[in-house]
This record gives sequence, structure tokens and C-alpha cells, in this order.
Amino acid sequence: MVSAKTSVVSVLALSLIALIASLFAGTGFAASLVIWVAINILLAASFRFVQLIGELNFALAGFVGLGAYISGICTAKLGLPFAIALMGAAVAATLLSLIVGFITLRTKGPYFMLISFAFTEVLRMIYTQIEYIGGNSGMIGIFPPALFTDYYPTLVVAIVLVLVLVLYKLEQSDLGKVLVAIRNNDALVQTVGINVHLTKVLCLAISSFVAGIGGALLAHANNVISPGDFSFLLAVYTLAYIKVGGESHIAGPILGAAVLTLLAQVAMGFGPYEHIFYGSAIVIAVLLMPDGLVGIIRKSLGLAPRAQVAARH
Amino acid sequence: MDIFGQLFLNSLQISAAYILFSLGLTLIFGVMKVVNFAHGEFFGLVLLLIAIIVPWLNSPALPLALTYAAAGAVSILATMACGWFLYHFAFKKFQRDMVGSFVLSVGLSLLMQGLFLEFFGGVPVKLPDLIEGNLHILGGAITTQRLVLTLIALCVAVVMCWLIAATKLGKALRAVSEDHEAAMLQGIPYRRIALYGFLIATFLAAIAGALLAPVTVISANVGSDFLIKGFIAIVIGGLGSIPGSIIGSILIAVIESVGGYYFDPSLATLGMFVITMLVLLVRPKGIMGNG
Repeated sequence: MVSAKTSVVSVLALSLIALIASLFAGTGFAASLVIWVAINILLAASFRFVQLIGELNFALAGFVGLGAYISGICTAKLGLPFAIALMGAAVAATLLSLIVGFITLRTKGPYFMLISFAFTEVLRMIYTQIEYIGGNSGMIGIFPPALFTDYYPTLVVAIVLVLVLVLYKLEQSDLGKVLVAIRNNDALVQTVGINVHLTKVLCLAISSFVAGIGGALLAHANNVISPGDFSFLLAVYTLAYIKVGGESHIAGPILGAAVLTLLAQVAMGFGPYEHIFYGSAIVIAVLLMPDGLVGIIRKSLGLAPRAQVAARH
Repeated sequence: MDIFGQLFLNSLQISAAYILFSLGLTLIFGVMKVVNFAHGEFFGLVLLLIAIIVPWLNSPALPLALTYAAAGAVSILATMACGWFLYHFAFKKFQRDMVGSFVLSVGLSLLMQGLFLEFFGGVPVKLPDLIEGNLHILGGAITTQRLVLTLIALCVAVVMCWLIAATKLGKALRAVSEDHEAAMLQGIPYRRIALYGFLIATFLAAIAGALLAPVTVISANVGSDFLIKGFIAIVIGGLGSIPGSIIGSILIAVIESVGGYYFDPSLATLGMFVITMLVLLVRPKGIMGNG
């Protein structure tokens, strides 16, 4: 096994390299690529956090969209500072997720999956009906703060690094152990006096907090948002990152998001094959590499496979 | 014109299609514990195939009804072959693994939609009417062809319910969805029954597609709208429950036609979602779900 100290050092080194590299990204296509990879990593980590309790949370796309719209309203419509927009997005997504989670997390498995899926689509439809945020055609003029115009990729990478690290620490903490225990046997967790329902709601809220920030970063990177950007497909693509990367370790979604986002750019060079690309990525990953790239790497290093994240009901 | 008669007729038309669609979804879930996200793609495949075959076959020498029948038969067979292929090479490995099979079907759905868009193009197609003319019944108006197609769809649904309620195959399907291990102990061949269940569900989606071909504007992503409504219907009714899926479909159809008439279609969809949440608050496993 790799010792804890070397892994800490290597994580810090990798983070530093990512930060320094992002400084040179500038503002062109390379910058956009850096931002997309970083945000997709964040979303994948957020999606995987809810997988710790064994649920597939397609509402992720809805919360990302909410974060994007709230932050967009803050900076483009109200002229508030970027920091407030970021916090506003996170708080709005968290609050909504507390309400929605409280109701929907009473269900589990396929019921939660389908309801979270419907939630995303309903939220998207609501955006199209509100004139103030541009209805169907969306909102324009969402620019990153002037101070960071040249270094927006670095800002995004830094925020993503911090949040992913926090999610990782939470997963390793006692809370993380309770979440995995809920996935494995929620009745047992209940019997030792832990409120399973509220813990699940908390898990969704943490994930949605991150998703809201992801949405805010995305909105300020793209400058333009429309309801179509936040359909359930966003969550499906995120699922593809996790499946390709492997879900047994947090490195999986990071690796999957980076590889697929870059490969998708290559595929886009041949034509509009986004659906086929992500669809076949998921199918191949599920059928041929059940533990993703991380599983393949672990196998080639001769390490024992880790337990699957998604519970088999 | 009598509003209630009209709304009743509209609800009837919409619910007939939803019932066929959600019966298939709930059947697959019951038998294999698979939430099939790609179900809408089977529906879409039939429509797209018919949209190719009908203009190609259509000639003055051949009656239109015969053209539709031939195109429908070929397309349904092709779709079932596609279903058989997917069952053997993909879904069979993921039976009773809800998360895995769902992820797989999401990938398949995305892949198939991409392929449809590639081969059929993005231009929506409207096929010629099968039967001309309007009818006035119950104070409302309906085109003759819609009425005929709705009645056929309801007949298919009734036959399917009879098949599940009364025949040996139906009993085996119900036994497997209740407890597949106990069913196997009674000598029911689970694997074969699962395949039959999957094929019957594919057939239901296919026939729903074939019946809607003359009245729908056909495009590559026609299946996804039905899929969302179908999911809401079976979540309200209770996953795996046949009566539940019928109740859910009727409820969805009534909300869609009544809400669409008095307010607007997107508000009706919002209403469906709110009602689903309310139902789940009271009964987390749907109206007819047990446990």
C-alpha cells in the first residue's frame, strides 16, 4: 500500500502543478478547456458524494442550473460582487435541496432516481417560463470579476481543488462512514440511534452546495446560460465521467471527467456526435470495465479491488 | 361544443398511448427489476422506421391502410429483434441490479438517440392521414383516425391485461415479479420468463409507436417526452404494479389534457410533478406499491 504521507505529498504536488498550469492557460480555448475539466470534476465529485448513500442523484443538473441562474442574477442583473453571487448560488441550491431532499429521500432506489430526474426537467421548464431571466433564450452577460479576468481558470481550479478535498475529507470522516453504512444497510444504522433520513438529507445538501458553486462557476465561464444547458443530460454526462473513471475511489470521477472531457473535444472535431460519444462511453464502461479506469490501474498495480460504491439492491 | 365531452375524449386518446407505454415499463421492472431508460427508444425506432417505409412503399396501386399495416408489421418485428439483441448482450447481465441496469439503459438511450439523429436526420416528418374525416360524439369532436387508433390501443391494453391476469405465461410473469426465487422453486424458468417479459414490453412500446405513427410529428427524440410521462405514471402507480401503471397513466393523461386546456402544457407538467411529490409523501412506493 502507498503510505498516507506519500499520498498527501503527491496530492499536494498534483494540485500545485494543476494550479501553476492553469496560470498559463490565458483566456483562449486552452483556458475554456481547463475550466470545463475542472467544473466537470467538481460535478462528478458532487454526484459521487450522493452515491455514497447508494442513490443516483439526477437532481444534480437541477441544482447546478439553480446555482448558475442565481449567480447570474446576482452579477448580471443586480451588479453584486462575484463572491456574493458564489455564496448566493451555493445557499440557494442547499436550501432547495433541503426541502426537496426532505420529501424525496423518504423514497429510495428507483423511486428517488426517477423523482430526481423529473425534478431536473421541471426546474428546466420553470426557467423557460420566467421572462426576467430570459425565458427560452436564456441569460447573457454573466462575466467573471474584473480582478480575475485573466486568471479565471486559476480561480476555478483553486475552488474546485478545495471543494473536492473537502468532499474527500468528509468521505473519510465519521459522517462518510455513516453514509456508506446507510448504503449497505440502512435499518442497521437506524438501530444504533442515527437518524437515517436526516443524514441522507444532509448528504444531498452537501452535494447540492457543491453543485450550486459548480453552476455559478460554469455560468461565469460561459457568460451565457439557457435552460437547455441544465437538462438531465448534464447529470447523465456526469454519470459517464464516474462510470468511466470508476466509483470506488474519489480519483475515479477526477480521472473520468478529465479523460472524457478532453476526448469529447476530439470527438466534437468530427461532427455533432456528443450523444453517441457519451452513450457509448457509458455502455462500454458498464459492460467491459465495471470498476472503471481506477479499477484497471489498481489491477495493473496488483492492488486488491475495492468494494463497489453503488449498492446492488 | 361541450367542454367536458371534449376533455374526456382528449384524455382518452392520451391515456391509451400512455397505458401501453407504461405497461411495458412496469412489466420490465416487475420481472427483471430493471428501470429501462431506453424504453422510449424502442418506441422512437418504430416511428422512425415507419416514417421511412411508408413514403417508400406508398403508391396509388396500394391502399394506404395496407401500406401502414405492412410498414407497421416490419417495423415492430425489427424493433423486437433489436430488443432481443439488447436483452442478450446487455440487459441479461444486469437483471436485479437496479443501479447498474439503469446506468446501462441511460447509456443505451443516449447512444440510440445519437444514432437515430445520425441516420434519420433532424427534420421532423408528418405522415399522411390514414383515415379522413371527423366524428362528433359525447359533445366533443375527434378525427375518425384518432378514435380508431385509440380504440385499437385500448383493445391491445385489455388483451394484455387478460394475458397477464388469466394465462399461464401471465401467472408466471406475476409470480416472478412477486418473488423470483420462490417462483423458481415452483419450477418456473426464470430466465425464459424474464426474456418473454422484456420482449412483451418491447412489443407494447413498438405497437404504441405504430399506432401513433399516422397522428404524430415524428422526430429523432420523439421517445424522450413519452419516457418522462411514463416514468411519472409508474412512480405514481407503484413500480412493478400493472393496475398501478394504468391508474397512473390515466391520471397523467387527465392532468395533461385538463391542465393543458385551462392553463398551459408546461404548467400541466409542473402539476404532474407536484402531484407525484404529494403521492410519494403519503405513499413512498406509489398508490399500488406494496411494502
